[in-house]
Amino acid sequence: MTNELVIQTDRLGKSYGRVEALKELNLSIRPHCITAFLGLNGAGKSTTIKILLGMMLPSSGNGTILGRRISDPIESVRIRTKIAYVSENKRLYDYMTVDQMIRFTSAFYPDWRPSEEQKLLRQFELPLDRKVKSLSKGMRTKLGLLMAFARRPELLILDEPSEGLDPVGIEELLEILVARCSEGTTVFFSSHQIAEVERIADQICILHAGRLVLDSSVDDLRQSYRRIDLVFPSIPAEHDFRIEGIEDVRTRGHQMTVLASRNAEAVVARAHDFQATSIDITPVALRDVFLQKVKGN
Amino acid sequence: MLWYKAWLETRSRFLISLIGMVALCLVFVLYGDRSPAYEVSSDYYNYVLFACHQILVMMWTLAVTLTMMGGLLREKATGSSSFTLALPVSRVRLMMVRIGTGLIQAFLLAIVPCVAMFSVNSIFGKTHSVSQAAYYLVLLLGGGLLFFAMAVLVSSVIGGEYTAPVVSFGAVIVTAVALSSVQLRRYSPWEFMTGLKYLNRQTNLLSFPIPWLQAAIYMLVAGLLLALSVIAVQRREF
Amino acid sequence: MFFKITPTSGQSLYLQLMQQIRHAVENGALRDGDQLPGIRTLAQELVVSPNTIAKAYSELEHEGLLELRQGSGAFISVNRRARSLSNHIQAASRSVTDLVEQLRERNFHDEEIRRMFEAALLHQPETVRKR
Repeated sequence: MTNELVIQTDRLGKSYGRVEALKELNLSIRPHCITAFLGLNGAGKSTTIKILLGMMLPSSGNGTILGRRISDPIESVRIRTKIAYVSENKRLYDYMTVDQMIRFTSAFYPDWRPSEEQKLLRQFELPLDRKVKSLSKGMRTKLGLLMAFARRPELLILDEPSEGLDPVGIEELLEILVARCSEGTTVFFSSHQIAEVERIADQICILHAGRLVLDSSVDDLRQSYRRIDLVFPSIPAEHDFRIEGIEDVRTRGHQMTVLASRNAEAVVARAHDFQATSIDITPVALRDVFLQKVKGN
Repeated sequence: MLWYKAWLETRSRFLISLIGMVALCLVFVLYGDRSPAYEVSSDYYNYVLFACHQILVMMWTLAVTLTMMGGLLREKATGSSSFTLALPVSRVRLMMVRIGTGLIQAFLLAIVPCVAMFSVNSIFGKTHSVSQAAYYLVLLLGGGLLFFAMAVLVSSVIGGEYTAPVVSFGAVIVTAVALSSVQLRRYSPWEFMTGLKYLNRQTNLLSFPIPWLQAAIYMLVAGLLLALSVIAVQRREF
Repeated sequence: MFFKITPTSGQSLYLQLMQQIRHAVENGALRDGDQLPGIRTLAQELVVSPNTIAKAYSELEHEGLLELRQGSGAFISVNRRARSLSNHIQAASRSVTDLVEQLRERNFHDEEIRRMFEAALLHQPETVRKR
């Protein structure tokens, strides 16, 4: 089992004129893990993925996937034989039928698995001789996913994979992702669906305004993020609670609420110093972690 | 499989153009003597060949501009460029296949109507000479491939679903007009293709020798434009 | 054997699974020698990352509750050390249950009780935080 990073970027940057879409992005995606890539619309997630796939060149910095340089056109082709990608817009060739799309795509990949293809065709109930242009969005999404899953790639890159799927489809998708990860595939997916991420992700990267503002394992987040609600007879100054690891402090009347990414014990100790009459500690949902990171700045 | 895709994308346009051009030839062969331009004294079949060629040149250029509509920039407008660019093939290979398919289609669009005309004429017993037919082919392809290359270049730099062929065709017209003055006429690929300057008015025959040098120069320029197209696509951000 | 994972509860998923397996051993749903589902199978059934399952199994093996046999899977192996540990845990568990009952009789809600425990756990300056 190799410990080499599957995706690694070194101060990746992208500018369009004055607009900096990505700033000094350092990604370190570990193998055999499921990593979720979160961020608001326009944060730079799709830009990052496009640069990783060689669709555009970075303005600065560089990166590798599976040890090969993403900015080199020849190595980029080699990268793409080993990875599977499903794009955000899920658009395919309108003039081809489902069957033609599968015939076409499978020809490019020696790691294609016909047995998986058959299984997924049945599971997704895709009509073989229907043209892509007359497929519903959900069916198009499923076709795109089928073509990625009927292979044995080392890395799966998925951009909003559950968009367009109904709850049953989403459940099927998550099950397949988990199964692929069990087989050794690394999964890197961007999503807006916090609920999915909470269930299957091992690692979370949050991108905000082109910068990586969080890169942590989900377990670490669950274990160290805490919300501490305090009541004081006489409210101390907020800055007394701005200890290392504190993300946010708010006061209202005699109440103070603190969001800590770590070091919650220090907050509790400080609260005791100020004679807090009530100390409530609750875990923080991933949604709140995310919102604080993207709104808090 | 890339060839298969290129074929699927262009087959309707190609087949409609081909059928249209063959039909035109047949019309000319069968009813050409009803045209007011025909003078009874000159050889009928040579006349038919010449007159038909004039229109074939226009149709061929239009057909080729339409079949070369496509490529990554057009796919960006229709949405599938992300899928194509994620395939494990280089952009150079994508372009080569598209150009290759287009060239085969361009050649077929030139040769098939020519052969059709020849066959129908021979049914009636009298035909124009093979060398004349070959001469017209050289003129069509020698000058026409330049316009083919222009269409490829335009489709490699101008995006949108239908914008590129409109601009290409506009460029063809601009070239023809710009080079239509008496001094510049000899450089005009359009003039070259129509063969007017090689025509002997009395016999309706093209005068030999075949202008290979000029054809070669046009092909060279075409090659240059194609190379530029590949570079343009290579550098493009999607 | 049915497991239930709650991603929104704020507790790490692997810890939840570990607790449920321990609980199953304590109340007899799982016995010594029983085989647990394979990592891939359980991951697909619960729809969680296989790394979560692997971590839970690995930690339980470390505690002595499981035995991971190369190629075969995970088997319950309640060895003597683990059995005595389990008694130890059961005794402590009874103390906690008694305390919780007392607090409930004093009309505290379960959520309030949980928060008080958390606060108490955190306010231990001498306690080294275990990873």
